[in-house]
Amino acid sequence: MPRITIDNRTIDVEANTSIIKAAERVGIYIPRYCYHPSLSIVATCRMCIVEVEKAPKLMPACSTQVMDGMVVHTDTEKVKSARKEILEFLLINHPLDCPICDQAGECFLQDYYMDYGLYHSRFRQEDKIRRRKRRIIGNNLVLDNERCILCSRCVRFLQEVTKTEELTVAERGDNSEIDLREGKTVDNPYSLNLADICPVGAITSRDFRFQSRVWFLQRTNSICTGCATGCNVEAHHRNGKVYRLLPRHNGNVNGHWMCDFGRLSYKVLMSESRVTKADIRVNEGINPGNIKDVLKETIKIIEKIIKDNGADSIGVMGSANQSLENNLALAEFARKSIGTKNICMDFPFEQGIKDGILINKDPMPNSSGARLIHTANNGISIDQFFSLLKAGRIKLVIVSGNDLYFFREKLSEVLSDAPKPKIIGFMSDMSNFPWQVDCILPVPTCFEERGMFINYAGLLQKTEPAVSAKDGIKPLWELLNEASLLMGKSIELKDRSAILGKLSQTIKEINGITYEKIGEKGVKVL
Amino acid sequence: MAEKVLFKNINDPKQLEIETCLKNGGYNILKKALSMKPEALIEEVKKSNLRGRGGAGFPTGMKWSFIPKAAPRKYLVCNADEGEPGTFKDRVIIEKDPHLLLEGIIISSYAIGAYQAYIYIRGEFVKGARILEKAISDAYKNGFLGKNILNSGYNLDVIVHRGAGAYICGEETALLESIEGKRGLPRVKPPFPAQVGLFGCPTVINNVETLAAVPAIVAKGGDWYAGIGKGKSTGTKLFSISGPVKKPGVYEVDLGYPFKNFFEEYAGGMLDGKKLKAVIPGGSSTPVLTAEEAMNVALDYESLQSAGSMLGSGAIIIIDDKTCMVDALYILVRFYHHESCGQCTPCREGSGWIEKVLHRIEKGKGVPGDVELIESVANNIMGRTLCPFGDALAMPVLSFVKKFRHEFIDHAAGKICGRAVARA
Repeated sequence: MPRITIDNRTIDVEANTSIIKAAERVGIYIPRYCYHPSLSIVATCRMCIVEVEKAPKLMPACSTQVMDGMVVHTDTEKVKSARKEILEFLLINHPLDCPICDQAGECFLQDYYMDYGLYHSRFRQEDKIRRRKRRIIGNNLVLDNERCILCSRCVRFLQEVTKTEELTVAERGDNSEIDLREGKTVDNPYSLNLADICPVGAITSRDFRFQSRVWFLQRTNSICTGCATGCNVEAHHRNGKVYRLLPRHNGNVNGHWMCDFGRLSYKVLMSESRVTKADIRVNEGINPGNIKDVLKETIKIIEKIIKDNGADSIGVMGSANQSLENNLALAEFARKSIGTKNICMDFPFEQGIKDGILINKDPMPNSSGARLIHTANNGISIDQFFSLLKAGRIKLVIVSGNDLYFFREKLSEVLSDAPKPKIIGFMSDMSNFPWQVDCILPVPTCFEERGMFINYAGLLQKTEPAVSAKDGIKPLWELLNEASLLMGKSIELKDRSAILGKLSQTIKEINGITYEKIGEKGVKVL
Repeated sequence: MAEKVLFKNINDPKQLEIETCLKNGGYNILKKALSMKPEALIEEVKKSNLRGRGGAGFPTGMKWSFIPKAAPRKYLVCNADEGEPGTFKDRVIIEKDPHLLLEGIIISSYAIGAYQAYIYIRGEFVKGARILEKAISDAYKNGFLGKNILNSGYNLDVIVHRGAGAYICGEETALLESIEGKRGLPRVKPPFPAQVGLFGCPTVINNVETLAAVPAIVAKGGDWYAGIGKGKSTGTKLFSISGPVKKPGVYEVDLGYPFKNFFEEYAGGMLDGKKLKAVIPGGSSTPVLTAEEAMNVALDYESLQSAGSMLGSGAIIIIDDKTCMVDALYILVRFYHHESCGQCTPCREGSGWIEKVLHRIEKGKGVPGDVELIESVANNIMGRTLCPFGDALAMPVLSFVKKFRHEFIDHAAGKICGRAVARA
């Protein structure tokens, strides 16, 4: 292994490592524009040039590989002045847009100018090259050619990751600009990653544009629950409102990217189909009520059905969209408070990456986790569940998510010649739910609640609340614990430590698990 | 003056026809070369000390020996994208003695083990491309190309690839990209073409003049070639001289020949009434020499280097005393600004910036500090770019401003000469 010295720190790194990566190992950050760890090396911005002893000139740290005995300096006067001069080149034709530019606050030009620039411009304002601004290049993106520094990260992303190649560098020399290929727009499922990787304000997200200054935003590390991949995300929020999701690097899951669907999934928080109130069907109409009252009414319905038809006439359906905690609470509630055997938490979704990038065939974030609870509780398969429904042996169904949407054809076939049972839904969002619900009790979304999820590859990860749930909306497990107390048959899950204890006890794969152990990157459990 | 190596048959008007060419000894050496071991050929070229004639002067034999022997596919590429302002030497070989070049290409391809060779010819050389096509087809007919060349068992195809007008495609890796059908953008090095070249295979890229010298080296031996010239600059070299001289043109002389003698004997000195002011010795990207410096220099790699310039491609541009140096540099920089590929920051942004400042100096609208600004910008480009283009732009700028500073200062202060204004 080559041994190299960077700024007087000596390390051993594997052969074929670039200086920029080796430096990161010892905590030295080398400024860069065109370099991106997940894209090919072009070494064109020249910002990362460093001094290598015995080399005749400054070497780009991104494309220069380490050699045994190499001595690198990243902080000499020579390097600093070179950075300043490269920055000057990049800024001469850059517009003075910062006050109206969305990138401000997370702009590599601004940051490095403060680090290495701080000079008076030697370029005449009237000599600046003007270019096209505010070009809509896709449903999600705006391109400002004037701000572009031609690092070509976007072009390489579209060549190497999505392989869709919508953008290219057109023209030559200082006429070069990023342009759409003829007849194309950037509308692939990963387009918004361009707004992330653009180091300046040239490509910005139409969704996030002008919504908030980035320095006002707080960050919460969480995961995306848009499918079984479980991309790691950062939720950016302020005053109880989520403004955007950004991918958070996790080499075992999503690398640096995430899909647009997942990225825009935070919109569920403001969607019209969002459940914010508890509702109950009385006679013909739906009547809203406060959560406590509706919960009491719901329990009455449950208790009546148990009395009239026996506990097994109640079917309890978990959800692959709900966390391990909530599915556990539901299963406990079904067994202890209701006393039914008819629990189903196993949804036969096909799993695996669908498009070779990130999007999973399984549209649910926690099929693997729900299945564990299912098995631990001797649940019945979804087919058995449907045949019970068909036979009219189920009079009441309790659901906790939208899973039935994916079985809607089967469901309507089953229900076409069977008596329709009553339905109680613990739901955060009603969009696409294929059944008319009799009682609705609101539960938080994944952005409002801490929860454990197991992705398609068996990695246990967690969501963290970016914002708090509104109007006294409580997590499902808390609601169920309350219900069980009201029924006089407690499930004894009064707090998270009780849940963790129960989970450890029930599922050997996650024995002794804590949120701290899951950490920011998850732990492999399956 | 020793015998001519490259221009032996240049004045035979029928040399283009293969019959005449064969009568003049064309392809005679090929047979000998194919009977030799490739390693022996490389050894011979190494011994000759032949250096690349395209401008960089890299030892040719060494370049060949970098090619991994075991690689299944290798390429030879002949760089005929002669685009450096002032250079017009390769064109003469292509148009007057294409078979000499072909013979060189076949021998060199055999030496490195390539079964396919490309000639990347400058787009504007339409005539040259047609002549090469004809010569290649004649060579196929006579069994010098194609399968089983001269019953040696060696196969070679040669393809003429025309450029589309970009100067940067003369840079070897941009040239490879262009052959591959991509934008002509220089690649990041390493890896060098000897490892990863055309279509990802090991590739040797040699200039026309370099390859044309190979047959003579094989015929008479590397030692013979090394005996010509001066010191490490061995062999003969073509010099294309242009400007207000009596006999501009391309001449072959031994390396190490004094510039003064070359200028007077071959080019015939200045036109009557003109006085020598400056000389660009090796093509537009090499640093300019004053008349005095030029008169004391010899035409070889080392002498020109110690005089602060470069042999380059051997394109001598003569500048007379009536020429405004600001104007001359402005024209050069405009060219480089236009031809910058735009990939890397210093060259893309710096070339335009220098042009803008020069333009205002040229118009007499400079401001104090402009001359220093040009120098500073050129220094910031120098050595910081992805390919040698940045240096090729910075070197003339720095040398013009350094050696003819008073002209720039006068211009910047508004004392401009009449001629320049019309153009600016």
